This record gives sequence, C-alpha cells and structure tokens, in this order.
Amino acid sequence: MSRQPEPIFTANERDILQEVMNIGFGKASADLAEVIDIYVVLSVPEVALLDASELAGYIGGEIRDFERISVVEQSFMGRFQGVALLIFPSEAGRKLISILGQEDEQTALHSVALLERETLMEVGNILIGACVGKLAELLDDQIAYSPPRVLVEDDPRETVTRDMFNPDSTAIVMRTLFSFENENISGYLFLITRNESIAWMVSALHSFMERYE
Amino acid sequence: MGRTLLIVDDSPIARKILIRCLPPDETFRILEAGNGEIALKVYQAERPDITFMDLTMPVVDGFQSIVDIRRFDPEAVIIVATADIQTKTLFRVLDAGALMVLKKPMSREAVKDALEKAEEALKDSERRR
Amino acid sequence: MISPRIFEVINIGLVILDPDLTVRHWNRWMELHSGIPEAGIVGKSLFDHYPGLNTTRFTKNCKSVLTFGNFCFFSQKLHRWLFPFKPVTSFSGMFDRMQQSCTMGPLRDDGNAIRQLFISVQDVTEVAAYERRLVELNTRDPLTGSFNRRFLDSRLPDECERHKRYGRPLSLLMWDIDHFKRVNDTHGHQCGDEVLKSVAAVVGSELRLTDMLIRYGGEEFCCLLPETRMDTAISVAERIRACVEAHSVKCGDEAIRITISVGVGELDSDSPYQEALIALADKALYEAKTSGRNRVVAQPHA
Repeated sequence: MSRQPEPIFTANERDILQEVMNIGFGKASADLAEVIDIYVVLSVPEVALLDASELAGYIGGEIRDFERISVVEQSFMGRFQGVALLIFPSEAGRKLISILGQEDEQTALHSVALLERETLMEVGNILIGACVGKLAELLDDQIAYSPPRVLVEDDPRETVTRDMFNPDSTAIVMRTLFSFENENISGYLFLITRNESIAWMVSALHSFMERYE
Repeated sequence: MGRTLLIVDDSPIARKILIRCLPPDETFRILEAGNGEIALKVYQAERPDITFMDLTMPVVDGFQSIVDIRRFDPEAVIIVATADIQTKTLFRVLDAGALMVLKKPMSREAVKDALEKAEEALKDSERRR
Repeated sequence: MISPRIFEVINIGLVILDPDLTVRHWNRWMELHSGIPEAGIVGKSLFDHYPGLNTTRFTKNCKSVLTFGNFCFFSQKLHRWLFPFKPVTSFSGMFDRMQQSCTMGPLRDDGNAIRQLFISVQDVTEVAAYERRLVELNTRDPLTGSFNRRFLDSRLPDECERHKRYGRPLSLLMWDIDHFKRVNDTHGHQCGDEVLKSVAAVVGSELRLTDMLIRYGGEEFCCLLPETRMDTAISVAERIRACVEAHSVKCGDEAIRITISVGVGELDSDSPYQEALIALADKALYEAKTSGRNRVVAQPHA
C-alpha cells in the first residue's frame, strides 16, 4: 500500500530547485572542461520526487536502452546528503581510460580489468564531485565524500534492484544524462537525496532566493 | 532611461532573478519569453532594446534564437545569460551575434556592467543611423 | 595550544599544498619516512622532490579538489604508493615499497573558499600483504609452487584483452611429463610428487621474468608467455625441453630421467580468445605425444 507522499516542495520551491540545478550542472560542465580538460556534456537536469519504493522502477525505466551496465556509487554527506549513482553502459571503463592521461609506469603493470574498474571509479569520483560540489556551493554547504565503489560491473540492467534503497524514505532524485563526446560514451547520473536533507533543502532554496531580494 | 528589455529563459526563477538584479534607480519595460520561438515573435512585435538570452531551452534553444533574432534585426543587442561559460560556448555565441556573456548565478554588479556595455552598443548603432 | 600537536604524533602522513602544489606543511610522519625534514621541503614544489608525481592523472585529481572541493582517493590497488618510501613492517620481503592508501581533499578559509589541499598518507603494507597472501593461496599450486588452473582461468582472458586492445603478442606452451604414469607405478606416488616438483622447478628457472608457469592438471603444465611471438616461444619451448632432458630427479637412492613433450601456440588475431589459444597449444601437444615424445611441436594455425 503506497502512501501518498506529502508535498515536499511548493511549485515555487520546485522552480527554484530546478534553476539551482541548471546553474550547478552548467558550472560543473564548464569547470570540468576549462580546468580539468574533461569534456563532458551534462543535459538539463530533471528532478523527481519519489517514494523510495519507486526508485528502482524509475531508474530502471530511465536506463532501459542499456543492455549491460556498470554502476559507480558514492555517498556524499553535508547538510545536503545522499547517494550518487553513475550508470554507464558496460564498455565505458575501456573507453574512459585515456581521459585521465596516458598509462604511467605503475598502471601499465595492472590487469586490464583492474584498470577499467579503477578508471570508472576515478572518473566517476570527479564527475560526481563536480555536480554535487557545485550544487552545494550554490546552497552554501560543504560536502564530505566516501570513496566511490563499483557496485556492479558489466551486468544486465536488471541488477538495479530494490535492495539498493532504504524503503522508508522519500527521495528527491536529480537525473542528468552525461555524454563524453570525444570518447562516445553516455550514461546517467542520479543524485538521490535522503529524507533528512529535505527540510534543510527547503530553507536553503529560500536563502538562495533571498540574495536577490 | 526607459529601455525595453526582453528576458528569454525557460526558468521563471531565472527570469525573476534577473529582474531583481536590475539597477533599482532605473526604469525598464520588461517582456518575458519561455523559449526561442516565443522570443522571436515577441521581438518582432515589440522591438526591445536589449535581449537577455538563456541557452538551454526547449522548442527553440538560445543558440538558434540568437541567429533568428539577428537575422530579423542585425543590430539586435543580445546578452547571453548562462552558467556554462566554456570558451567554446563563448566563441559560438559571439559568432552567432551575441554582444557578451553574463555568468549565472548573477550579481547586481555584473548585470549593471552588462547593461552599460549594451548601452554603448545601442548608442553606436543609433549614431550610425 | 595543544591540539595542533596531533598532526605531529598521528600515525598518518599529512601534507598541505598550495594550489600551485608548493608544499606548506610536511608532518613528522612524512619527515620520518621520507628522510626529508620539513624545512627542506616547505616552500618548494612537491615535484622537486617527487617528480614521479608529475603525471596528468595526479594533476587532474588535484585540480578537481581545488575546483569542486571533493576528495580524491588514491587506492593501493591501482597506485600502490604515491610517495616512494621503504616498508617498515616485517613484510619488507614482499614489497620493495611501502604500500599506501592516500586521500586528497580541500582546505577552506573562514569564508569557505578553497585555499589549499591536503594529502593524507596511510601505510597499508600489512593489509596489502595479507591480501596478496590470500590471492596466492587461491592461485598457487601447493605442491610445485607454480600457478594453478584458477589463476590461468582469470589471467588468460585478461592477456587476450591486452592483445585485442593494444595488439600485444601472446603465446602459450602446453607440456606434460612423458610416461608419468609409469614413474608413479614404478617408484611410487611420493616419487611422482618429487618428479613434479623438480621438473616444475627446472622449467621455472628457465623462464623469463614475465612468463608464468601454471600447473594445469595432474602432470600437465603450461607456460603463459606474454609479449612473445611464435619464434621466440619455440626457442623457449626447446630450451625447457632440453633442460628437463638433461636433468635427473633424485628419488631416494635413484636418479630418474624425465622428458617432456611440448606444444606451442600463438594467439591468432582472427580468433583472439582463450579457448582458441588453448586449443592450438593442446593440439600441438597431442602431435608431439603421438609423434614420439620428448619434442617440441608448434601449431601455427588451427
């Protein structure tokens, strides 16, 4: 029996959140290119408010064009708290190896599988840090991050299961499609915000607008 | 001064923020549009002095809208407002005919500065006529 | 003030860098393990003392921390170590460098702007040694000390991938001990074990540093030779065959003479799969066996 979630945001607050996300992801994309030489296009983000029980279905629906996927997961903790999921099609690790620079003598010693997995984590770490970091900056928050981990690697898409999410919470899900154009790899970034952050977010969004009073 | 401004952005909050950043001691007539298609229609009907243009919009995006408006009015003064200020984006909008880029999130000083540059451009084209 | 002293007594390396990677703080742990006193490195670029860190990967990670305020993690698995320090624990035999897990993060001022970055360095040599030992238990044959079948099953696809991706040549030798059953029947199983150990040791000593000796089955072995083409593989095969022939295994009072038959296969670009490579070498081994034993046969194509 799914309960109706109470309205978390007013229409106005939702508009503010959308604009904050637009600005945040736009800045992330620009900084990735200009400062780090990583060229990734981030689509205009969408936000969905869901019961946690609906998360698996929502994400599964969004990624339905991928047959086999790899997933990088990372927790972030500020007043803005939650989990980031990067979902790549399975060839991504191989294609992204060149993004962080040529193989140095240490990495050349490793198995190809390890190199691909670690590359997914390192690139994922930077991409998640860029998006979450810029959002937090706009909302005047600072974030600590757990080490990223590869949750699944080259598994069928169906592995995004309900077990991943705490069933009792409401989630704010921010979704963007990212695209590394030079490497011809696209995937999805989902930022899933925990219940605990929601009250703070509402006030942070108002504080954001108050700068323009 | 009484200039007419056209603000083009699909986010109502972005439009509101820009309006709030305008210098309080000046009066403006303000027109708004939510995408590039509407923007062109409004431009043709109202001939605003200065246009503020967002880039990522549905239906017709900012890049296309700049081209459309400049084709209609080669003297159109267009300021691009965007968070994504990569060099290649900058070159692309300047080539399309935009006057300059205004960074998001906005500040009152930056908006004031942009308006001053727009004024100079307007005066230049008025002098030429 | 007492609390800053923690940075000097803590069992973790702490480095603080300016955005241009000039060193601003080098705690006591770093001094002890690097042999460089703080005064000798503060004010200089990190790369002056550690030019090996000046890679695209490292600098991109630094820029990310300075721009986005995130953390970057240099895991022991991929990087092994950032700073080339000697190991301090009793595992110094296994590793020639201290294995490190490092984290890089932002340091902000009172206005919350990112001003510097820190690197924390943790000695994880003990954990890495434990992991390696576990892996070894899993991938080594206890009798001969060579790798086991499980190792081959995971390593071979990886080497084939390296061939597919970078075009690196790969060869496989499959060999087994001629008339091994007769040895067991005549001299007993303990002797049989001794023969296996001895032959594996002889062959192992003839292989090059990057080659891998694998016990495939009872008396069947293979040698995985990365970066090796057919002609070199054949000469390696001939060398091991000759060495085994010349060798005698001591078993109690007896000296037993042993020979091996060797099949050679090279990974074919048209069919770059582990099953294909194994089939090639296996077919060559079969031919060596049926055409007289104690010989090398190469099977260039299927």
